[in-house]
Amino acid sequence: MTNSSTNQTGLVLNIQHFCTHDGPGIRTTVFLKGCSLRCKWCSNPESIHPKPELAYNISKCIGKKQCGLCLKPPCSEGAFYVLEGEDDRIRINWDLASDCGQDCVDLCPTGALYLFGQAMTVEQVLDEVEQDSSFYRESGGGMTLSGGECQLQPDFSAALLQEAHQRGFNTAIETAFNVPWSHVEKVLPHVDVVLHDHKLTDPERHKKWCGVDNRQILANMKRAYETFPDKTFIARTPLIPGVNDDEDHIRSVLAFIRPYHNVIDYELLPYHRFGESKYGFLGRVYELKDFTSPLPESVQRLRSIIDEAFGRSSPLEQTHELKP
Amino acid sequence: MNATIKRIAINVGFGYSPGLNTVISGAVLAANELGWEVVGIRDGFEGLLFRDRYPDRGLVLLTPELVETLDPSSNILGTAVRNDPFHVRIINAESLVEEVDRSDHLLKTLQAEGIDAVISVVGTQGLSILYKLHRKGLNTICIPRSVENDIATTALSFGFNSTLSFVTELLDRAKQAAQSARQVGVVEVLGEHSGWLALQAGIAVCADAVLIPEIPYDLQKVATKLQDKFRTGRSHGLVIVAEGALSVDKEAVVASANPLKASLSPLATDYQGSHVIQRSGHAAQTVALQLQRLINQETYPLVLGDWVKGGAPTAVDRQLGLSYGAGAVRALHAGQTGVMVNFQPPNLSFVPLMEAINKIRIVPADSEFVQIARSLGICLGG
Ligand code: SF4
Ligand code: SF4
Repeated sequence: MTNSSTNQTGLVLNIQHFCTHDGPGIRTTVFLKGCSLRCKWCSNPESIHPKPELAYNISKCIGKKQCGLCLKPPCSEGAFYVLEGEDDRIRINWDLASDCGQDCVDLCPTGALYLFGQAMTVEQVLDEVEQDSSFYRESGGGMTLSGGECQLQPDFSAALLQEAHQRGFNTAIETAFNVPWSHVEKVLPHVDVVLHDHKLTDPERHKKWCGVDNRQILANMKRAYETFPDKTFIARTPLIPGVNDDEDHIRSVLAFIRPYHNVIDYELLPYHRFGESKYGFLGRVYELKDFTSPLPESVQRLRSIIDEAFGRSSPLEQTHELKP
Repeated sequence: MNATIKRIAINVGFGYSPGLNTVISGAVLAANELGWEVVGIRDGFEGLLFRDRYPDRGLVLLTPELVETLDPSSNILGTAVRNDPFHVRIINAESLVEEVDRSDHLLKTLQAEGIDAVISVVGTQGLSILYKLHRKGLNTICIPRSVENDIATTALSFGFNSTLSFVTELLDRAKQAAQSARQVGVVEVLGEHSGWLALQAGIAVCADAVLIPEIPYDLQKVATKLQDKFRTGRSHGLVIVAEGALSVDKEAVVASANPLKASLSPLATDYQGSHVIQRSGHAAQTVALQLQRLINQETYPLVLGDWVKGGAPTAVDRQLGLSYGAGAVRALHAGQTGVMVNFQPPNLSFVPLMEAINKIRIVPADSEFVQIARSLGICLGG
């Protein structure tokens, strides 16, 4: 690989080690920042905006009397403040703090202010991924790119995946496919396993729950299945009660994927509410809807429909939980 | 700048309260006296951000003749889901969802429409957004609207009085229900950071206890108060709890309500203009459950949530709305901009937006209302 592609930088949210649900074997999952959907159940709100973004954990703030550094320049006027009363910990005016970044974070001695998202080079990411390489060899694992939507940074993702291949790792991506086809064309040649979400089948309902209809998504999927017959595709649905936990959805996904032999499985990921506090850390209160988890019986019933379609007699043991 | 004003606009930030049309009428009538034309922007700023979605291109001409026909309880302009031109969610040409800064575009559109200033009826978060627009050059006057009366500097926000009246009426009914059930009703009312609504409505119905965010509560005190009353033959009780009320015992807080609120700006609002993600009911439930352990009677929780913000305005809010509307026009006429109309009875004055944001109007410990409640024998839990 050329130096120029290992020097390429992308916006990375997090690198998580020892993942077991994001592809075969034990894996390292690299979460990229930026997403082109806005699912109302999203458990990773910090992965949505395609820029580094300020977050605040009030429990780490030592207060104005002891510190108060963020109340002075260079932090912008009105972005940080304290209320009257005994509690002198900082409060954030998220509307005025929208331009705050590294400068403010660097000031904070306790890490109460921090940033989600960091620019990293391909080499930096892979060097960290490499640390777990002995586990991959034994378990058949490798590197998974997730997000957000990893295909929104197509050049960076392609370079990461290509370099991972060069280092002998299996590669997977988790994607919702809401990207231009030109991105898919760059990324998929370097992927072994494509885990992709079929969130909702009806375009209008998709728009209601995910922010945009699914026409581009479905077209991309179809084209990907056809263009890359040698890749392994696994379809998935994050199962949200009242949104997509109905037989119709499951059956239409099955009808969509079954003609393609490279789509080897369809997994259901029952929704569990987590990540809620992160909405607070980002000051974003108004986005998350209060969903419940699906009942085990209904998950089981829907899984048996899938098993039947795949010609499996006994239900697959699937204990996966939703990891967007 | 007043000499140059010919045309102004008015809009309403997200969330609602009774009687928004009265503010609009006040501004239109006062502007008319000065020979200014007034247009209303539909749905916050959305009328100008997404003009194609509106048959009238997002602007309504507001004449004195038109406002005469308006129903005071409603809002002819509508409100935005979120009134933030700095983060407008769009679907771009590649079908990707993204948030874009449309503030420049908005200012240009206002200019192209010949709009010299904007009067905005907003809550706490709206004040910050208008302040940002003002920093970018928008001539603006804000009118404080809060059913919780928690906007700092002004003594009375628009909408509070009507909500207070409605909540009082509902509490009367809750009291009757408790009486007939021989139980203790624990009623949660709006008030994440300030307890004005709970306290003033609690006084109005002579509740047994009122728990507000400003005074951490010790339920043992509430229990003692209730037991004293039960000993004299009473068999029911009424406890009012503001949604942000907290126990002196930090462990007693309902865990699930906590992580979300922890790092939030106290002024952050959800899409309905309420203070946090819908979490209503936690305060009533916690108090009802814990109180039941301490007293002989059964308790039950009741929640007066967001819907109490609807309905008809009281006479006070009708007057106040007209005055705020007219006051905003007076501010513009006096050459003011970047200010909020501030009502300190009996005067209307103007405060810079920077002084109004990042503050919450809370109930001070020595407030007259606190003293009145105590002298009426209402337990405040601390
Ligand atoms: S710099 Fe950090 S610790 Fe210091 S007052 Fe600000 S948020 Fe708190
Ligand atoms: S696609 Fe995933 S990361 Fe993006 S909004 Fe939906 S759940 Fe969140």
